[in-house]
Amino acid sequence: MTSLLEIKNLKTRFFTADGVVKAVNDVSYSMESGEILGIVGESGCGKSVHALSIMQLIPDPPGKITNGEVLFEGRNLLDLDERDMRKVRGRDIAMIFQDPMTSLNPVFTVGYQIVEALRLHNDMTKKEARKRAGELLTLVGIPGAETRLDDYPHQFSGGMRQRAMIAMGLSCEPKLLIADEPTTALDVTIQAQIVDLVKKLQQELGMAIMWITHDLGVVAEMAERINVMYAGSIIERGKVRNIYKKTRHPYTMGLLGSLPRLDDSPGTKLASVPGLPPDLLALPEGCAFAARCAYRNDHCLAEKPPLVEIDGPDHIVACWRWEEIAGINKNE
Amino acid sequence: MANITPEEVIVTDFAVREHRSLWIDAWRRLISSNTARLGMFIVALFVLSAILAHYFWEYDPKVDLDYTLKLKPPTLVANEDVPSVHLFGTDKLGRDIFRRVVHGGWNSLRVGIVAVGISLTVGGLIGLFAGFYENINMTSLERIFLFGFTGLIMGILPAWAAAQPLQAVLMAGLGVAAAYFPNFHKDSINRLWIFAAAGGVVTAVPSLFAGSLVTLVCGVWGILTGALLSRPLEGKFFSNVMMRLMDIVLSFPGYLLAIAIVAFLGPGLEKGMIAIGIVSIPVYARLTRSAVLAVIQKEYILAAQAVGEKHGRIIFRHLTPNILSPIIVQTTMGLANAILSAAALGFLGLGAIPPEPEWGAMLGDSYRYLTSGAWWAVLFPGLAIMLSVLGFNLLGDGLRDALDPKLRT
Repeated sequence: MTSLLEIKNLKTRFFTADGVVKAVNDVSYSMESGEILGIVGESGCGKSVHALSIMQLIPDPPGKITNGEVLFEGRNLLDLDERDMRKVRGRDIAMIFQDPMTSLNPVFTVGYQIVEALRLHNDMTKKEARKRAGELLTLVGIPGAETRLDDYPHQFSGGMRQRAMIAMGLSCEPKLLIADEPTTALDVTIQAQIVDLVKKLQQELGMAIMWITHDLGVVAEMAERINVMYAGSIIERGKVRNIYKKTRHPYTMGLLGSLPRLDDSPGTKLASVPGLPPDLLALPEGCAFAARCAYRNDHCLAEKPPLVEIDGPDHIVACWRWEEIAGINKNE
Repeated sequence: MANITPEEVIVTDFAVREHRSLWIDAWRRLISSNTARLGMFIVALFVLSAILAHYFWEYDPKVDLDYTLKLKPPTLVANEDVPSVHLFGTDKLGRDIFRRVVHGGWNSLRVGIVAVGISLTVGGLIGLFAGFYENINMTSLERIFLFGFTGLIMGILPAWAAAQPLQAVLMAGLGVAAAYFPNFHKDSINRLWIFAAAGGVVTAVPSLFAGSLVTLVCGVWGILTGALLSRPLEGKFFSNVMMRLMDIVLSFPGYLLAIAIVAFLGPGLEKGMIAIGIVSIPVYARLTRSAVLAVIQKEYILAAQAVGEKHGRIIFRHLTPNILSPIIVQTTMGLANAILSAAALGFLGLGAIPPEPEWGAMLGDSYRYLTSGAWWAVLFPGLAIMLSVLGFNLLGDGLRDALDPKLRT
């Protein structure tokens, strides 16, 4: 059986005046239908760019997908022309964005925008679409949905706008919903509501969700599997339990270690991963993380570690010294 | 102890809010400002009087002539000397200035609308496309359309010089061909030579009969255009070509360029309108492009793409309403500018052809009589120009305040 989404050796480059920015480097993974996949990593590690590459919304120029395949239900999206791709967007793959403040068009009512998305891919009259839009708003938990359809985005709160965005994303019942940091701009209580909502919707509608975030707490709660990205590559991948409990990559360990814990004594300084992510214009020859890694040796600096399976396909890591690190991981 | 019985709470639906759009908000702010109201009043007066005069007060300037009433001062009641009432007096041909000022308003209105219409449509489209495709990939169909358009615009100069439209059409064809065969001798110097040669031929040959100098100029321009079109055709390139063209137009002083265009087209109010319209195209093109560049970074444009919207719909449904505010302001100010420019052309005798009533031409006709005391023949047309320009400018200022997002609460 073919996977819902299979990405093979995806490479995205930005050709700028300063040089070639290697934003996504050889990313390969697959997603099954109905699965929730978490993608984590710090800012600028290529999470969003790789998602936009799937949708082919990379601004070109300067961006270009230089290599790879994006197989959606066995069909390579990179081979489609703009017209066919347009049919995939919204209908097969929908995307919601980080900033709910700017992702709704301020000059149209919320209802108009949902109706428009609905009518784009479905053969619906305005009336039917409006009715469906009301149902969708109710589904995402906006009270008084019928009357709120005629509201303008500025009359919605941040959380409600994100709900409206989700309603728009769901409008054509996509098989895959890419959520690009959908909770980052929201406060914590609203974040929790949105997470619950998406989980509930996923169970009801059975779509696959790619949840891009830098919030490890949120993905732990909802995802089944996680890809950890660093400098445009996947460095550790596997089931949530493996990633959190049997961490094998020093970067993932650093990320997890930087989370504040309830049992920390007051006044403890938050741990952080020292240094800065590498310049994507000039990636080092060896492991991209080596410069910040406490466990590096000469081998790490000289050669880029490949992804190796350490527990079957359920846990894959790109580190030369994962076996030694296994011994010192305190989480286990 | 007294029994406190809780009162039954009747829940009333207090959450009835109006669905206020940005435009209604802006309108409220506009009418709450005194200067804007004054501007609106003047503009309404000007527009109404012009329309009413044109449709309900017949005037044939060709037969309006009465030497017995030459240069009579304003009168409020008829007397022996002046048997009819002339509110604003009469001019050197004994024509009623009030009547001519009001009818001149119709001409000014037409100039404003046509000139701004030309510059807004052409400039606005150039700005929209340039700004949009600078950031968003073109599809092959859009590329063909845009480069045909580029060829057409580039072909206007030789077509103008040789006084026939053939070159513009041929250049448009060259643009289409360049976009249709992007892989023809790709990455090879041959492509440059072939397109340059083709450009030279299609512009030089049709202009042969117009003289050798014209042929030379057209040929060089054609070779340059052909060479340009042979390059990789991207949005950034399209935007660059368009904006540099706009810079070229902008580098001429506006009035001089308008005079040059009128000199070429011949005098007449209609020609004046076209000239004024062409001169201010770059203003709108640059304004629109900058507004597009600011809005296109917003996530809702990305979101519109992500639900599978077509580019044309994104440009006209999502982008355009969001960049309207600066353009509305500029359009209002532009109307004032166009009226002023038309008056300047009329004053120089390049706009309206006498005896057509036109404020600038009326000034030009009458200023010689100022020394002999006929102040009214100059004052009233001048006042009309000043007031209408003031009205549009006040309205524009008011609109700017009303539409400024920073003031939005």
